[in-house]
Amino acid sequence: MKEASIGVRPAVAGSTRRRVKWMEPLTGYLLTLPAIVYILLLVGYPFLLSLYFSINRVFIGGEYRGFAGINNYTSLLDNPVFQKAFWNTLGFTFGSEIAKAVLGIGLAFLLLQPLFGKKIVRAFLMLPFTLPFALSLLGWQWMFDPEFSVINYLFGHQLHILHQPYPDWLGDPFWSWLAILVVNIWRGFPFAGVIILAGLTSIPRELLDAARVDGAGFFRTWHYVITPIIAPVLFIGLIYDVTFTLGDLTAVYRLTQGGPGYSTETLPMQAWQVGIIGGNLGLGSAITLFLFPLLFIGVIIFLRMLYRREAI
Amino acid sequence: MSAVAAAAVRRPRRPGRRKITNRALLYLALVFYLAIAIFPLYWMFMAAFKEDVDLIDPGVSPFWFKRPLSLAHFDVLFRQTDFLRWYSNTYLIAAAVLVITLVVCIPGAYALARLHMPGGEHFAIGLFLTYLVPPTLLFLPLSQIVSGGLAMGNNKWALVLVYPTFTVPFCLWLMMGFFKRVPVEIEEAALVDGCNRFQAVLRVVLPVSVPGILTTAIFAFTLAMQDFVYALTFTSSSSQQPLNVGIPDSLIRGDIYFWGELMAAALLAGLPVAILYNFFLDYFVEGITGGALKN
Repeated sequence: MKEASIGVRPAVAGSTRRRVKWMEPLTGYLLTLPAIVYILLLVGYPFLLSLYFSINRVFIGGEYRGFAGINNYTSLLDNPVFQKAFWNTLGFTFGSEIAKAVLGIGLAFLLLQPLFGKKIVRAFLMLPFTLPFALSLLGWQWMFDPEFSVINYLFGHQLHILHQPYPDWLGDPFWSWLAILVVNIWRGFPFAGVIILAGLTSIPRELLDAARVDGAGFFRTWHYVITPIIAPVLFIGLIYDVTFTLGDLTAVYRLTQGGPGYSTETLPMQAWQVGIIGGNLGLGSAITLFLFPLLFIGVIIFLRMLYRREAI
Repeated sequence: MSAVAAAAVRRPRRPGRRKITNRALLYLALVFYLAIAIFPLYWMFMAAFKEDVDLIDPGVSPFWFKRPLSLAHFDVLFRQTDFLRWYSNTYLIAAAVLVITLVVCIPGAYALARLHMPGGEHFAIGLFLTYLVPPTLLFLPLSQIVSGGLAMGNNKWALVLVYPTFTVPFCLWLMMGFFKRVPVEIEEAALVDGCNRFQAVLRVVLPVSVPGILTTAIFAFTLAMQDFVYALTFTSSSSQQPLNVGIPDSLIRGDIYFWGELMAAALLAGLPVAILYNFFLDYFVEGITGGALKN
C-alpha cells in the first residue's frame, strides 16, 4: 500500500485494474439486489405457491386436505362453468383486440394530423385509458342501468336504432356480453392509438416520400412500407394489452359478476369466486394458472420482438 | 385560349377543395372519437351535479340541466361517507409505494445502465417481464401470504408492500433508459476531478437525472392508484380502503345505488389520476415499445 504513494507504478496500475474488473460487476449485482429480492419474494414465491396450491387441496385459513395431483386441473376441464369462463376470456380478449386495432389505427392517423390544441385534444382522447378503470366503470354501470340507461335513451328513444323492449344491458346474456366487450374496447383503444402512433412516427420520412414518388397509393404504402416497419412495435403493444385484458377482473367484477347465470364469466372472475368467496385456494389457483400458457406464448413473442428490435 | 386558362386556374383550385373536404372529414373523425372517449365522463358529470329528482324525471332531457346545478351529492360524500379517508389512504399508499420504488430502482437502474455486468441486459429484460405477470395470477397466493404469514389482513400497508411488484419492474426499465441518456463524459469528468464513483453519481449523475427520476416517480404514484384487484382482496373495512374499492363498497348498498354520490366520487378520485397519467404517457409508451433499450 505504501509503495503506491512512492511510485511502483506499473504494478499498482495492474492491481487496481484487476480489482476494478471484479469490483464493478459485484457493485452492479449488489445495487440490483434489492430489486431482485423484491421480485423473487413477492412475484416468484407467490407464483410457486400458486403452483403448489393447484396440486393440493388447500383452503383459506390454511386448511389442508391432502395432495390432489392433477385432480384440480382435470375437474376443471369437465366443469361447464370453467369452459364458459375459458372461452369467454378468449372471446373478450380476441374481440376487443380487433376492435381496438381498428379504432386505434384511425386514432393514430388522426393524431398525426395538425390539429388545433392538439395536446389538450389528446389528453381528452386518452381519458378512457388514463382514468382508473375501477372508477370509470362506475360511470358505465350507470349508463347500463336497466331503467335509466342513457344508451337506450339515445339509441332507442332519440335515434330509433334500438327498439322496445330496450335491452337490459347487464341482465341479459347477450347484451351483458356485449357490454363487457364494449367497456374493454373503450378502455383500450386510446392505448392502441398511441402505440400505433409511436410506430408511425418512427418511420423515416424519406421512405414515405420514396413510396409516393414511386406511385404507391395509400394501401400499397400501408402494406409494403408501413406495416413491416411498425410490426414489432405493434406486436409489443398488442402483447402488453392482451396480457392485461386476459387477466382483467375489474370489468366483469364491477358490471356483472359473471352473470346473468355464467354468461359473462371469465377466468379471473371464476378464480375470485372459487378462491376468495368459496375459499378453495387449490382450485382457484388452478383456474388462474390456465392463464399462464396463454401469457407465456405472449411473453415469448414479446421477448423475440424486443431482441430483434435491439438488433436493428 | 380560355380553355387553357381555365385548366390553369382549375389545377390549383382542385387540391384546395380537396383540402377542405379532407379537413372536414378530419374534424368529423375527431368529433366521433371525442364523443366516444368523453361521453361516459360527461354522463358522470351530469349525474354528479344534478338533483336526484332530475336524474329520474322522465320529462327532463337527460343531457342537460333543468333545475340548477346542485352540490348535494358532494355534500353527502364529504359529510356522510369516509371519502376523505379513502382519499388519504390512496395518496398515502401511493406515496409510500413511490418511496419504495425509488429506493429500489435508482441503484438498480444505474447499475444496469452503466456498470459492466455480465448478463446485465438479460437481467433487465427478465425483471421487466415480471411486469407482464398480471395481479390475477398472484392474488390468491398473495392473499395467503398477506393474511397468514405477514398477519396483514385488512391492512392498507399490505398494499404498500405488494404494489411495488408492478411498479418496480417498469420503473427500473424506464429509469435505465434515462440513465443511459446521461453522457458518460460528465461522469468521467467528475472522476478526473477527484470524485470517486459514488460521489460522481451523487453529485453529477443524479442531479442531471432529476427529470427522469421525477417522471418515474409520478408513474409509480399513478400506477399505485390504478389497482383494483389487490385492493379488493386485501382490504375490507372502510378505514383501510383506497378510493377504487371504498367508493363502490360504501355507495352501493345491496340493490341501492347512490348514483349521484358514486359519480361525484369517481370524478373527484379519477380526474387527478388521469391528469397525472397524461403527463408521462409518452414515457410510458416509450418504455413499452422498448425505447429504453436503445441508447
